[in-house]
Amino acid sequence: MNAPSAPKAANKLKSTRMAGKLVNDYWEMVWRAKEEGKLVCWYEGSSINPFLEAADIVWVHGEAYSAMLAARHQEGPAQAAAEERGYMRELCSYARTHLGCAVNNQRHRNESDSAFSGVPDDEDISAKLPPPDMIISAYAYCSTGQQWDEMTSRLFGKKIPIFNVSIPWIWASGKDAGYLRGQEWQETSKYVAKQLEEMVKFIEERTGKPYPWDRLRELMRNVKRASELRLEAMDMCTARPAPATLFDWSVSIAPINQLPCTTDIVDYFTNVRDEVAERVRTGEGAVPKEKYRLFFDGIMNWNKLGWLAEKFARYDAAVVAGRYTHMAFWQEPDLIDPNDPVMGMGQNYLICPNNHSSPILIDLIMGLCEKYEVDGIVFHATRTCRAFTNPMHMIAETAQKRLGIQTTMFEGDVADESFYKDELLNTRVEAMLEAIDARRMVMV
Amino acid sequence: MADSNALDQLRAVSSDPMGYARAWKERTGGLVVGSFPMNFPSEMVHAAGALPLIVQESDEPITVGHGVLFPFYCGFTRSTVDQAGRGDLDVLDAIMFGDHCVQLLGAADAVRVQLPNTRVIFFQLISSMCDPWTFGRARESFQKLRSELEDFLERPVEDAALHASIALFNRNRQLIRTLYAARVDGRARLTGSDMQAIVKSSMVMDKQDHTALLEQIVAALPSAPVPIEGKPVRVHLSGHFCQAPKPELLAMIEDCGATVVGDDLYHGYRYISTDVPEGIDPMDGLARWYMDRNTGVPCPTRVQNDVDWDAFLLSAMRDEAAEGMIVLMAKFCEPHMYYYPEVKEAFERAEVPHLLIETEHETMALEHLRTRVESFVEILRRRRGAPRTQKSTVEGEAA
Ligand code: SF4
Ligand code: SF4
Repeated sequence: MNAPSAPKAANKLKSTRMAGKLVNDYWEMVWRAKEEGKLVCWYEGSSINPFLEAADIVWVHGEAYSAMLAARHQEGPAQAAAEERGYMRELCSYARTHLGCAVNNQRHRNESDSAFSGVPDDEDISAKLPPPDMIISAYAYCSTGQQWDEMTSRLFGKKIPIFNVSIPWIWASGKDAGYLRGQEWQETSKYVAKQLEEMVKFIEERTGKPYPWDRLRELMRNVKRASELRLEAMDMCTARPAPATLFDWSVSIAPINQLPCTTDIVDYFTNVRDEVAERVRTGEGAVPKEKYRLFFDGIMNWNKLGWLAEKFARYDAAVVAGRYTHMAFWQEPDLIDPNDPVMGMGQNYLICPNNHSSPILIDLIMGLCEKYEVDGIVFHATRTCRAFTNPMHMIAETAQKRLGIQTTMFEGDVADESFYKDELLNTRVEAMLEAIDARRMVMV
Repeated sequence: MADSNALDQLRAVSSDPMGYARAWKERTGGLVVGSFPMNFPSEMVHAAGALPLIVQESDEPITVGHGVLFPFYCGFTRSTVDQAGRGDLDVLDAIMFGDHCVQLLGAADAVRVQLPNTRVIFFQLISSMCDPWTFGRARESFQKLRSELEDFLERPVEDAALHASIALFNRNRQLIRTLYAARVDGRARLTGSDMQAIVKSSMVMDKQDHTALLEQIVAALPSAPVPIEGKPVRVHLSGHFCQAPKPELLAMIEDCGATVVGDDLYHGYRYISTDVPEGIDPMDGLARWYMDRNTGVPCPTRVQNDVDWDAFLLSAMRDEAAEGMIVLMAKFCEPHMYYYPEVKEAFERAEVPHLLIETEHETMALEHLRTRVESFVEILRRRRGAPRTQKSTVEGEAA
């Protein structure tokens, strides 16, 4: 196994730089919302943003805000505020960070009500988040998502209307059960779609206007196209060397997950697809001396994104796919009919990867490992996200038995750096790569 | 307690649930259907002629379970997968559940893989409790579970049998509530562990047999309060979902000069708080029960904007004349951790002292905890004569 080589080994896609600007523009829009007299909706989990955007409601995705704070290393004040109110460190750090923003927001409001100087520090962007006028909870699989929304509503004194969409876990019961098929899938899809129709009525009550369905159709046309382009580009990464890695796809989550669904996102993924195609044509790899190909199982460690990209690249390891990036975010564009989008949207919410029980989930992951011809799986045991860690041991065992590939685990977290242990990651990854080398020697 | 023989029998079952299940199976030749906490209506299994048993956290240290779930999971889920891996759940012919907590879903998913020969039946219950469709969806979920149970047992669950099971379960709950009331008015001197043994055994035992023992215990209650030595402080125990707090912890609390007068533990009042309405369609009754119990004793694993757990706790404590509350929080229990700040703030506002104790599956530094409980008891004693001016944060909360 190679020791970490020269600095700056990761050859990131250039086209993804645009994401930074789009993301900044989006948050600027969020921060201006109240000045512009816009209604604001807080939500987590499922990408219900097109429903809101169509109705001219400004949408705030809780995870995205927490991830943004963590990526900018500005999560501290929000997490401290949450802790002060009693939210314990073992709670989902996305939720904790976002609840901390709510605590800060309430605190500043109360302090200014009492003529106390409550103006937030300019640097503290956790306090810039506009308070919600409504909350919509539509979280697949993870009970934390729903509780997080409920607790947000309670933090605001239960004065903010809240709407719950229940998204049942796909247990895969019955002989006909499988990915996107079977009675359970059909019934659950209808159940979710029905609730989304009710959610639209809730939105109409808030805006006082009839719901602009045409606008939603237009937005979903863009989403569908952006998703197709993203998947097309991802598919091209079966090439050796891989033209892009999980870290490029992580940077590209915001454009598919919560940025405005305008033609900008179509342009973004067109550029990404074109750059990836060009790299395939010229044989340019995202990790120049690609020697290992890995699958990354777990949610991204946002405080460590650039750091991890570099680290793996220095090991000449291309992380070619992952559960978080490759199995979520409008993952099945074929299900979306832009002329009648609700059912397909609901179905895409249902296939959040964690929302499949292990028989389906594990088959899908094994399929990706085979498709991308990976040598091993790195598990990021995200300390405060049990939704992701739940099946990890089962996935690892199956990968070893069924595919005969190496696996390793390291502890970290989505937005709380204190859980990350660099030394552990180094030794574990090195041991895994050594094992891969040893296996290759035997097979030669 | 007058009928110690009946209570001893319940204690024995409570301390060895799987041993009881094995003996029952041998004796009757019947099927045992396990379920996961906290909302599965065991009446359905009983009506089908099988023994319903709520899977319990075991006292055993985790061994094989380490390879299934990470150490940062609650004791109940880790213990469950550990028991499955060690073969302790083999006595169960099927396992049913319908709950929602993400850790529980993880455990259920793992158990299905661990026990390929055991039918694991699941249908997720709606956890958003005040939607216009909550009742209908809850009913539909129970109906699905019933159909799968019928498929597994290859026989129908008859409505008449379900009505009878509901009546029996209601009687059982009513008897336990009688004991709760008698504890508040001083006629029953039941320790925390006694009450736990009564409730936990009800989750495991044949309901008819359990009810018969309860009838004996209730019949033996004196008609007037039993005098008590000293004046122990009256505390309410709160929290601890899915798994029973360790009896030695409860004993330690009482040993420090507290007497437990009420609780909302799952292995306590939460389990028996609500009856299934009778005289209506049984599936309607079960769905109603599911909703009513969250209004009666709100649960942080559900979301219901129009009920407040904190307000419930304060009101329950007034009824029990409790002087302070001890919150027992199973380490890593996310639903509890989310709700706790609401409870903390409400108690601080109301100036009612509380003490937070985090419990663990493996080890608990009981001696360290004892010091904290002793100080808490001391604070409660001092308040007896003093006007209510001090802030309860100073006094009680000790996270
Ligand atoms: S624990 Fe994980 S899945 Fe659940 S809300 Fe947090 S980040 Fe989302
Ligand atoms: S509710 Fe708490 S105790 Fe129950 S399974 Fe979930 S985390 Fe564990």
